[in-house]
Formats: sequence, structure tokens, C-alpha cells
Amino acid sequence: MTKLILSTGNIVSGGPSIIRKPGAYRSNLEFTNSLRSNFLAAQQDYAPDSELQSNGNGNSSANGFHQETEGAGRTPLSLWTAQEDGVLFVPRIDWSLAGLHEEPSRYQITVKLFFLPTASISDRGKYASEALDLVLQELRAPSIDLLVVSFPGMSFDGDCEWEADKLNSSQGNDDEEAATWPAIEELQRRGLAKDIGIAEFGSEKLARFLKRVQVRPTVDQINIKNCCNVPPPLVKLAREQNIELLVHSDCTDILSKGTLRELLGQGLQGAGVLADPETSVEGLQGDLAPQWVVKYTAVVRDRGVIENKGYFASADLVEC
Amino acid sequence: MGLLAQGTALDWPDAKKQSHLVRAWGIKQLLEIWNRAKGKERDAMLWGDEVEYLVVTYSKEDPKVLLSLRQADILEALANDKSLAAKGGGVPDIQGHVASRTDDPFPVFHPEFGRFMLEATPGKPWGIEFKELLNVEPDMKLRRRIAKDHMLPTEFPITLTTFPRLGSPGVFTDPAYPVSGPKLRSQFVPDEIANPHIRFPTLAANIRSRRGRKVQVNVPVFRDEKTSWPWKDPTVNCDLHQWPEDEDVRTGGAAPDNFIHMDAMAFGMGSCCLQITFQAKNITEGRQMYDQLSPLGPILLALTAATPIYKGFLADTDVRWNQISKAVDDRTAEELGDKPLQNNRWRIPKSRYASNSTYISTDARLRPEYMDPNLVIDEAIKQELEEGGMDSRLATHFAHLFIRDPIVIFAEDLETLDLSKTDHFENIQSTNWQHMRFKPPPADNSIGWRVEFRPMEIQMTDFENAAFAVFMVLITRAILSFDLNFYIPIVKVDANMETAHARDAVLDRKFYFRRNLFPARPPRRAASASSSGANTPVGPGSRPATPPAGPVEDEYRLMSVNEIINGTAYAARSSSGAQQEQQSSDEGDEFFPGLIPIVESYLDSVNVDVLTRCRLATYLDLIRMRASGELCTAAAWIRAFVAAHPAYARDSVVSDEITKDLVAAVIAVGESEQAGRGWAAAGVPGLERFLGPFRRGGA
Repeated sequence: MTKLILSTGNIVSGGPSIIRKPGAYRSNLEFTNSLRSNFLAAQQDYAPDSELQSNGNGNSSANGFHQETEGAGRTPLSLWTAQEDGVLFVPRIDWSLAGLHEEPSRYQITVKLFFLPTASISDRGKYASEALDLVLQELRAPSIDLLVVSFPGMSFDGDCEWEADKLNSSQGNDDEEAATWPAIEELQRRGLAKDIGIAEFGSEKLARFLKRVQVRPTVDQINIKNCCNVPPPLVKLAREQNIELLVHSDCTDILSKGTLRELLGQGLQGAGVLADPETSVEGLQGDLAPQWVVKYTAVVRDRGVIENKGYFASADLVEC
Repeated sequence: MGLLAQGTALDWPDAKKQSHLVRAWGIKQLLEIWNRAKGKERDAMLWGDEVEYLVVTYSKEDPKVLLSLRQADILEALANDKSLAAKGGGVPDIQGHVASRTDDPFPVFHPEFGRFMLEATPGKPWGIEFKELLNVEPDMKLRRRIAKDHMLPTEFPITLTTFPRLGSPGVFTDPAYPVSGPKLRSQFVPDEIANPHIRFPTLAANIRSRRGRKVQVNVPVFRDEKTSWPWKDPTVNCDLHQWPEDEDVRTGGAAPDNFIHMDAMAFGMGSCCLQITFQAKNITEGRQMYDQLSPLGPILLALTAATPIYKGFLADTDVRWNQISKAVDDRTAEELGDKPLQNNRWRIPKSRYASNSTYISTDARLRPEYMDPNLVIDEAIKQELEEGGMDSRLATHFAHLFIRDPIVIFAEDLETLDLSKTDHFENIQSTNWQHMRFKPPPADNSIGWRVEFRPMEIQMTDFENAAFAVFMVLITRAILSFDLNFYIPIVKVDANMETAHARDAVLDRKFYFRRNLFPARPPRRAASASSSGANTPVGPGSRPATPPAGPVEDEYRLMSVNEIINGTAYAARSSSGAQQEQQSSDEGDEFFPGLIPIVESYLDSVNVDVLTRCRLATYLDLIRMRASGELCTAAAWIRAFVAAHPAYARDSVVSDEITKDLVAAVIAVGESEQAGRGWAAAGVPGLERFLGPFRRGGA
């Protein structure tokens, strides 16, 4: 079995992936687009042929990526990815470029960890530490300010937030969420995350969750659409429990098997990492299972400037 | 402008003799600041807004609404208010620096050029906590309430950019004074229209004197159904023989047909605007913000348009900018190019009040082609600054500002050069009114490098003023976070500034704007080669860090304000009324993401609580709807109000009666906002189109 670590690098000044597209609200497009453009960039940067044109020309195109798949002319996998201790980094990461411009204490660092339905529940503690380790390494920071965890199968959808709160009550899995939480508490106890929080918990789910955990989350991230009426029961509960309700626009199930295969496959939009049995193009073989995705953001505290934002994702490749 | 500084202001002939000395000392002071502050680092993002008010005298019974000239009394009352002072508020120019004894000091008030004006700022600068952004609107409302509380019951602070009948025949001020005074020599406004502090009348008189004649502020008249054509301004008096300048309208061609003719500084500097100042983390970031905000100036001017009436007539333009420009234009006939150069050093293409003439950033993306080919600089000053250690680009900027003469000079300030002060530098700097201002730290270095964004027109309500202020704050954060690039040639920014004047430019005109705002991705190898990293890049060869640049003309295109603010996809939807076109505009070459989606993407990436985000969304919604035409500008609302008034005769004339009802409506809207009742309670026509669904139920 091979473990894959996918990364976007810093997407904040990396062009248009970060800009919300019309109609793309609450989608995983930022994540998938920035992965794609990072793969493409790495293939260009590490190409054996120095004649390859750069993308990201400041002038030619407003949406930035003209993807030209080179088909057989792709950069060999061994050049733009890196294998270290049984982990394949896609693309390879130049850790010498890691770190923030100023000392870490000047930043508000927020990390959001997405547990995925395709991954083992008992391994979530391990996933959390792996993901956080990578972020700390990337930012060269000793700890982060806020760790938010997102559980699969949850959403805060509906015509209005009232509706969302009701629907939410029966979503997810209370037992699994409660069983996962001690691992998150542990990260906080170890001083790696100052505050811990959850995402997409409506009033009823949150009330049940609070009864089962030792350390209470200080943040609940919810998704608001056009109507700004946060359901009063949730507002009340959050106020009583001193939980801050923050806005997010992520989707919960951020990386499905299908999306991952497409990202890494031989198709027009793919990075050509996976073998294609039909065309007998070489590549990795096996079944891909996404494990987790983590998003990190470092904002300069007293200036409100986002200096670094990116994603890591992990997947297991099970050879069959 | 510290009003405490009293002294003997020199008349122009004397001031002119000293202008070289003031410039020389100003440059020495600038170099002193530069050396002290160039390494200043890590200043926080602080910002401030300035709101300017007209003070009117209004009562239901009186047939006319008038401008109140009690500025000094009102400021005195504010300065003497002990309870206001205890909360940190007051009038710094009278009381000296008001020590803030509280964490949330009350607002402070300042005099302005017009004796009918008042300026208010927050008691301390704002930070960038998102919750703090929500305090701006309540603070603006508080300012208005405090101002009102120190006025007579019949006086009201209103935020119209200009008073519709300023300079109209008959009485328009309270108290009334005769026109044609020695300082302004205006046939429309009395000298008493200006703040009586010696600085202001001297400013007006010396501009006139330097120029060699009165300023000429001519605005095209709006031609309505029954407007006579060609139109001759009926208020121009050709029979005055008080001053030599009175000849201008007879033989000097000062009052051409089809233009509303005005002849004094008060017609420009008596306008109210909304200015925002940002503190940068260091000089590099300040210079970047100065450049990047510059191309946004004309767009925000068009979007905030609020000035359709001058001197009792509907104008064919919607904004104040060019009128102020002309009202303080001190260029001589030689400098204007009307006469061959003899006594002056240069022909100067722009007024002291005009759109930016320089870009100053150290950004590698700043191409030489963007620079103004007509830039005039004082080469000797540039050389002195460079010898003093300043880089050529910034030295060019200041060597351009310093082509101007100082207008107001106090004899006492010329005794010795005090390098611990910045007065001579500020004398030139603060009378260069470009649409951005790059502000060095003060003498004590207690504040960082700042950038002032100056083009926006004041809005009628504090809700709108807060919305535009907050939007500008957020756009600066997005610019710095995403490293956005708005560069277009300065001549195109100039052209946009002109375009912004047109009636309904916000909906009907197109502006030059950069197609692609995003930075080129830095290649890994270049990045790792320049870092001290251990990894050696894999593979041969390396790519240049910046791709070869194409023609500058390909970098920008004409866009509507709707496209610029909301993006091409939204604009296609809102203009076609249907939803399809989205497909074509989504990914094509003409695709532009829009400033609001960019700000939203910024907000998506930071931690904002639900309530704050909802409130910020209403501000963004207002701007979105103004840009798309779903809501109209103040200028359009005022035009509609006049057009629908029973006393309007379709002849472009805005009478006393119409003006009174217009001001009454503005007061009513202000009072319902102040009381949190919502606009509907104001009983004013047309507000749905203007303020839409916002703050309907009060806030």
C-alpha cells in the first residue's frame, strides 16, 4: 500500500483558483482547481525540457489556466513527485520554501480538517496528527490558533437556516463524532491547537454533542446562504455555551473517490499519476481511498492580510 | 490644517518671493522624514474615515432653506462641551490634542474651507477586526447626532456634496452678505462664505492672484425639454464694475454658452466628500497600495455620484471632481499653455487638484509604459532627493508635487528652518489634491506610512457612507492578500476620471480596466534558488521569473462599472435579464471576476462570525446593486426628485422651492435613519430605487 500526500502549495497569491466563481458557492472547486494548477505547475517546473512555456502569464487570460495536456509528453512522475518513507508526495514539496514571513505569533492560523466517509473512523486520531504535522511543517509554526473538524455526512442546507437546523439534527453519526473528539482534545492538550471547534452542528446536534465531550468546542462553523437568519435556538445555545458561530463556505464531502481518480488520472483534467488500463499508459495501479483533507490559513493578525492558504490531502492506494 | 497656527499670512506678491525658500525647506524636511521613517516596519492596519457635512438652516415655515454660516459657533459649542471632552470627543483644532481618556473615544470635529461645512472623524483610528467594521456606521450616526446637538433647532448637518443654490441670486446664506468682496471678487458668493481663519481667505485670494484672474468653474448645463438653447447662464451679471476681474464675463470669455458659470473657490472646495486613509505596514506596502488603489479612483467616483446641481441649475455631469479641480486651479496663462513661457518654468497639464500623475511602487509589475508621459518634475529637486538617499521613483513623485508654489505662507514660519517639524513639506504636500495621497509619518514618527483614498463623493446616509468605507477597507485587504495587480497607464486613469463625470456614467459608460488582476505564479526553481534552501532544483535549465510582457494595450479593455464591481458573469445576467449568457462569459477571454466576488473570496478565507458576515453582506449588496443599476446613485435620485417636483418647469432651473423640498427630504431621511425607523417612515418619494431594501426596518 502506498500513501499519497497531495498538496496545493500557497494558493493565496497563486492566481484565480481562490476567487469564487459565480454559482460555485459552497463547493470544492477552490480545492480541486488549486490542486490541478499545482500539479500542472510542478510538471512544468520540473520538466526535463526547459523550453516549456510557463503558464500564469500576467496578461493573456483572466482565468489563468490554459491547460494543455501533453499526453505522452508529460513530465515523468519521478521528476515532479517524490517518494519518501513509503509516502508519495504529489507534487514533490520543496520544504526549503516553507514558512511564514514573520514570527508565527503574529498570525492567526486556522486549520480545518475534513474527515471523509471513505476513511476509517478508528484512524481519525492518527489522521488528525498527520494532517496537523504537515501544516506545522509547511508554516514552520509550533502551534495553531484554531483547529476545526468537519465530519462526513453533515450539512447545513435548506431553504433557510431554520430548515437547515431541523434537517441537521438527524445527520452525521453522534457516536462516531463523540468517539473522535478525544483525539482532537488531545491535540489541544499538547498545546498544538489553542482552540478547537466543529463545523455544521445545528442546535440539536450541538446540544447532544456537548453532553458527551469533556472539552467543549469554542467554535461552530456554519454555512449561511442568502438569508442571514441564523436559527434562534442555535444562536441561544451558542451564546449560553460561549461558542462562536463562524461562517464558512466549504462543502463537507470535499474529496470523493471519483474526484480523486479524475484529478490523478490520465484524462484531460488529470495529472497522469494513475495508470490507465485502457490505453496502457504507465502509472500507479490500484484502488484509491481518500483519507482526509486539511485546509490551513495564516492571516497576519493586526493587518487582516492572508499570507498563506493551502490544502493537503491524503489517500491510500491499495494495490489489487 | 492646524487652526492654532496663527500668524501673518503673506499676500501673493510676497508669498511668491518666498516660494523657493518654502520648497527648499520642505525638501529638507522631507529628507529628514524619509531618513527617520523609511525603515519603519510592521505598523498595524489602522484606518480612518472623514465625513463632511453641509450645515443648513431649515424650518417648515421659512420659504427658503439656507446655508448656515455658524461654523465657528458650532465648533465652539462642541469644544466647550465638557461631557463630550470627558468621552474623548471635541475639536482638536480649538482644544489642542484631545487626550483620549477612554478606550472608545467619541468622534472629533474639524473646520473646513466652507463656513457652512463641518468635518467629523472617529475619535481614534479603526482596526481590522471584522466586528470593528460594524462600529463604523453607528459611529457615523453618533457624529451626526453630536453635531446636530450643538446646533440650533433649525440647523441640520446634511451630507449632500453641494448645496444646490450656492451662488444663486438672492439670499442663500444665513446670515446674508453682499457678494463681490475683495478676497474672492466673486459675483456670486460673498467673501464670508469661506472660513474666516486667515488661512482660508488667503488661500482663495492667492490662488486667484497667482492665476492672474478669477478661477473659472464652468459646468455643462443639463438640457431639458424647455431649456432655452443655446443657453446663457441668466445669473451672470455683466454690469459689475467693482473689480478688474469683473471684465472676465464681458470680454474674457469666462462664461461660455451652455455652461453654468461659477467664479470662486467655494464652488469647489465647498463640496463634501468621503475620504479614507489607510496605514500600511511599511513604506513598501504603502507605495503598493497607493498604486493599486489609483485605478479604482474613477470607478468609485462614478459609483458614488451625487452632484447633479450647481448654482440652481441641473448640470449635465454627476460628480463634483472637475469643479473642485477648476476651483483651485492656480495655473497662470503661461502654465496653461495660453501664452508662451516667459516667467514660469513649465507648462503644466493638470490642476493642483486632479487625478494622480505618478505611480510610486517598487513592484516589478510596474511597467515604464504605465507612467505619465506628460509628467512635469523639478529636476533639481529630484536630484537633491536622490542625493539624500531617496530612490528615483519616489523622488520623481515628490519632485512632481514640488513643481507647485506654496499658496499660504506665514511670515513667522520663515525665521528658522526647524527640521523637527514638517510644516514646509506639508504646505506643498497638502495643497496637491490628487485623488490619492501618499502620506509620510509625522515628525514624531508615531504613525506609519499612510495612503489616502480621496475620490468618493459623500453619500446621503451613514449607511451608505459606512458601506463604501468598509468596502474600500476590504478591497485593500484583498489586494494585499491576493497580490492583485490593477495597473493601467496613468493616461487611461485620467481618461476614466473624465468618463466618470458623465450623467449616469455608472450605468452608461465604460472604463479602462485591467483584464487580469492575478500575479504570475512564481516558478519553484527561481524561488528556491533565491532562498537559502538546501534542496537543489531538479532538472536542467530555468525559467525567467516573469514572462515576457506583451503590449500594454492588450492588458486592459473597456468595462462597465457593473462588470468591474460584480464581474462579467453577473453583469451578463443582470443586463440580459435572462440567465443563459453566463456560459459564454464564464471562461472566455473577456471574463472578469469582479471586485465584490474578490472581496467575498477574501472573506471566505478568514474567520468571520455569522452576524458580522451578514452585516458586511448588506454593505456589499448596496454596492453591487448600485453598480448593476438595481439601485440608483444619489445623483440619479436627486434628478428624479427635481423632475417629479410640481414646481419644476423642465427648464433646468432648480428653484428655492424645489431646493427646500429636496433638503427637507434629505433631512427626513437622515432623521429616520438616526431614529432607526427605516426609510419608509420618511415619506420621501423614490427611496425604493435609491436605498432599496436596506435598513428598511431600522438598524
